[in-house]
Formats: sequence, structure tokens, C-alpha cells
Amino acid sequence: MKKFFLIFLLFLPACAPWIKTGGSYESLPHNFYVNIPQGWMMLDTDRYLLISGDGPFLQYVLIQDRPIEMPFRNTKKKFNRLMLPQEAADVIIDEITSDQSVLNFEIIENVPARVNGHDGFRVVFTYKNRDGLKLKTIYHGFLAGESFYNIRYTAVNRYYFEKDIEAFRKVLESFRLIEDEKNCPGIRVSQTMKAN
Amino acid sequence: MRYILLILMLCFAAACSTPANLPLATDNSGIDDEKRLWQRSEDEQKVLTQSGLIYRDDQLDDYLNQVARKLQPPEILEHIPFRIMVIKSPYLNAFAFPNGVIYIHTGILARMDNEAQLAALLGHEMTHCTHRHALKTLTHFKSKSDFLAGVRGSLIQFSGIGKVVNQLGSLGSKAAVSGYRRDLETEADLVGLQLMAKAGYDPNEALRLFEYLKRELEEANTQEPFFFGCHPRLQERVENCKNFLKTRYQKEETGIKNKGVFLTKLHKVILDNAWLDLKAGRFHSAQRGAEKYLKIEPNDAGVYYLLGEVFRQRAKADDTHKAKAYYKKAISLDPFYPDPHKAIGLIYYKDGEKTLAKKSFGQCLSLSPHRADKAYIVGYLKKCNQ
Repeated sequence: MKKFFLIFLLFLPACAPWIKTGGSYESLPHNFYVNIPQGWMMLDTDRYLLISGDGPFLQYVLIQDRPIEMPFRNTKKKFNRLMLPQEAADVIIDEITSDQSVLNFEIIENVPARVNGHDGFRVVFTYKNRDGLKLKTIYHGFLAGESFYNIRYTAVNRYYFEKDIEAFRKVLESFRLIEDEKNCPGIRVSQTMKAN
Repeated sequence: MRYILLILMLCFAAACSTPANLPLATDNSGIDDEKRLWQRSEDEQKVLTQSGLIYRDDQLDDYLNQVARKLQPPEILEHIPFRIMVIKSPYLNAFAFPNGVIYIHTGILARMDNEAQLAALLGHEMTHCTHRHALKTLTHFKSKSDFLAGVRGSLIQFSGIGKVVNQLGSLGSKAAVSGYRRDLETEADLVGLQLMAKAGYDPNEALRLFEYLKRELEEANTQEPFFFGCHPRLQERVENCKNFLKTRYQKEETGIKNKGVFLTKLHKVILDNAWLDLKAGRFHSAQRGAEKYLKIEPNDAGVYYLLGEVFRQRAKADDTHKAKAYYKKAISLDPFYPDPHKAIGLIYYKDGEKTLAKKSFGQCLSLSPHRADKAYIVGYLKKCNQ
């Protein structure tokens, strides 16, 4: 019994940051607003915001503001402020394809795409993880100021990807940079739930 | 009681006389551990085969396997069906599974200069199989609880290959990928050198290769998955080679090198690996690979385009000028090659030279109207017209 209690205690802190949520969410440290689907779980860390409806092993949306100077794990390439969206997309693709745990990587689409008025890119790709599970990702990214913002939706290719693609579209459409809001305060979404 | 003791003693004697400590000479497929290791290896190889990481080139595979067969006598080849495969990875690594399947990264192949250097690497890896190093490692660690911790440590240390190993996820053959303990690696060094010398290759080439790899790693100052196991062992391995040459091979350099054949068979790997180096942001390695390829194929537009990409993407002072020169050279060699047109167009576009950019993008699209990045180019053209 003591053993079970210890295991429970071990799991407790790991579970703590996950919050059941929904509605508008303002992440001040990450400089963005986003609308989270009702009933989804949220994990806001110092590096990213992760939201998921069925659990991150099946599907998730990850939103990140990444300092452009921050090195990548697999490629030594870096962003620079003068990069075109296509060049930024190429850096991301090279980062992913240089990761040997990403298997059978295949690009389905790589096109220019705007996010909240910012020129960026949209890359759609599939890959297999180490367990042989096929996953599909839609990756939106753009450079703004000192950050590279990315909003990506990853789900198990079979069933889950299609199931929540509409939810992801709404998350993407709701995405706003706080900096932009300051310049144009009318856009600001209601029911804001402040983080940190 | 006496009978029980006798049976126990017989059991121990049988255990001690397992041929695991001997080079392969007879069929030992009945040994359970070894059977299990081979089975595990086959499972892992299936995953690797379907991973998209395998470099597919039948002619290259044939050549590598021919060289491997020269190194072993027929009786060994009968017991271990050696098979050499290539992995698309710019890292300087190679590993052997206990069942004789050897994987060589494009990274290490692309740095070799001749067949003798290939033989040195193959001799080393084959010795891990013939001398049952995986089985020895397994029996060594079997009773030790720190095995997993040790493996995890080495995986973190060799992060790149650790990912492959993690993905493979097996216990017994992990050492095959992440490196064996020191005495086994030394044995593989020495037996490997003997094998190459016996097959008529010049073992001095082994030293040349090891010293070159060592230099390159030191220059790059990186910790990466490496044939030598880990950086502190580098010098040790080079010393093994030097000692062998000093004490057991005091001939003049008369052995086989086969540089011409080797480079003919390998030239495509050199170019493809340079692209992998570029993807990994290893601009200097990519440039070196491209320049090596240029010596073999001086009129290949593709390699000039690659050099242009190296400089455009590195984007240091004066790099754009160099990139432009390489793109222009690529275009002069092959005016119908669309990629350098697009790449030089990007430089003009970013420099605000809209007319030149428009012309280059237009040429690219006319040569390749359905290319994957068409939407970007159409976007650039629209902006050029504004």
C-alpha cells in the first residue's frame, strides 16, 4: 500500500501542470492570445503552450515563441531576421530531417501562409515515430521581431488527424500576438484567462 | 549429494567451455543467448530497413559486400552471412550487429579515400561479429544491475546514434551500435588490421583514415556518434594502429589501395552526404565533401549548385558573392537545371534587384513548372511586379 502511495506521489507533480480548460487564453510570457477548444487540456511551460483533446500521444497543438538565436537540437543552422518564410521553412525541415528518430519523413505540402497577418509558411508532413506509428503534422511558422512563432498540429494519421483538424483551424485563426494587440487593441478577444 | 555436486560441476564446466570467448570456427547456433541476439538483430534490422534511413544503391552495396568478402575465409563466411548496408547519416560512424549485418554511415564512407581504408573499417566491424563481442557484452552485463544505466549514459553521450538505438530499443545489441568495452574494441582494431593486411591491403591506410577522422572531429570540436566509440578513446585507437604497424607490419607501402575504383563507386555517396551535412548545418563539412566530389566530377552542375547553397545558407560576410558565382557556374554547365536559377533569384530578390530576380524566377518556373515550391516562387514574382 505504501508503494502505491509513493507511486501516486511520484505521478502527482507530473500531472499538476495540466489544466482542463477552454476559451480565450493569454500567455503573457509567450506574447500571444489563443482560443482553446472547450474541454481540452493545457500545459503552459516556459518553452511552449501545449493543448490536447485526447492526450498528447494521440493529438496535440503546440504553440511556441522561439528566440531566433536559440540553437536547434539536430541542425546547426540558425534563423536570422532577414530570412524569407521559405528559408525559415527550410531550416525547420532540415531540423526535422536531421533527427534520426523521425522515420519515413515525407513532405506533403510546403507553401507560403499568413498567420494573423504575418508572412509565414505552412508545411504539412507525415512521419513515423520509433514505435512505427504514423503521425501527421501541420506546421505554421513565421518570424516576427526576435522570435520565431510556430503553431503546429500533430496527430496520429489514422482517425485522429481528421477528427480534430477543424478544432486546429479554429485555434490557428484565433492566434494573435500581444504586440499586435497593443498596436490595434480592438482585436483583443474576450473572456481572457491570464497565465503566469 | 555427491551426484548433485557432480552435476553442478559439469554444468559449470559446460558453461565455462562455451565458445563465446573464441573466434567463430564452428556452428554454435545452439547457444541460446546467441540465438536470441541474432533474433533481436533481425528484428532491429527490419525496423531500420523500413525506416527510410537506408541509402539505396545496389551497385554500391555489391561493391561494399565484395570488399567485405575478401577479408574473411570461406569457412567464416559460411557461418556468418556478412551483409554491408549504408545509412543516410552524415555522422562518422559504423556498427555491426552480431548476425553479421554491418551498417556504415554515409558520413564515414564519404571521408574515405580508397578501398584499403574501407577494408580497415570493415575488418574492425567484422571482428566484432566473428569474435562474438555482442555475446561477450551481454554475458558480462547480464548479472549487473547498472547495465541499463550504463547504456543510457552512453546513449546520451552519443546523442545522434542514441536516437537510432532508442528507436531500435533492444538490449543485447545496443553495444553493437554504441560501442563495446575497451578490450573488445582493441581486439577488433588488431584483428581487423590483420584481416586487411592478409587480404593484401595496405594497413597504413587504416592509420591515415583514423588520423584524418580524429583531426576532423577535433577541428569541429563536436561530440557525435563516432566509429572510435568516444573522443577520449580516439588517441588509444590510433595508438593501437601505430603499434600494429610498428610491431607486426614492417613492410614498405606495397599493399593494395584501389583508390580509382573506390572513388568511382563512391562518388555519389560523397555528393549525397555533402547534402546531408548541409541539412545538418555543417557548412564546412558540406563544402569539403562538395570539393572532394568536384575533383572526381569537375563538370557536374549539381555540385556547383550545392556549393552555392552552402554559402547562401551560411550567409556570412561575402558569402552571397561566392554563392552567386557558384550558381552562375552551375547554370553555365547546365542551363536547363532549374534550382540554381531559383537560388540566384532569391539572392537578387533579397537584395532588391527585382528585374534580375524576376528573370531568374521566371526561368526556374519555365524549366520546372510544377515544382514543389511553385507557390513561393509565384509569390516572389507577384512582389517583383508590385
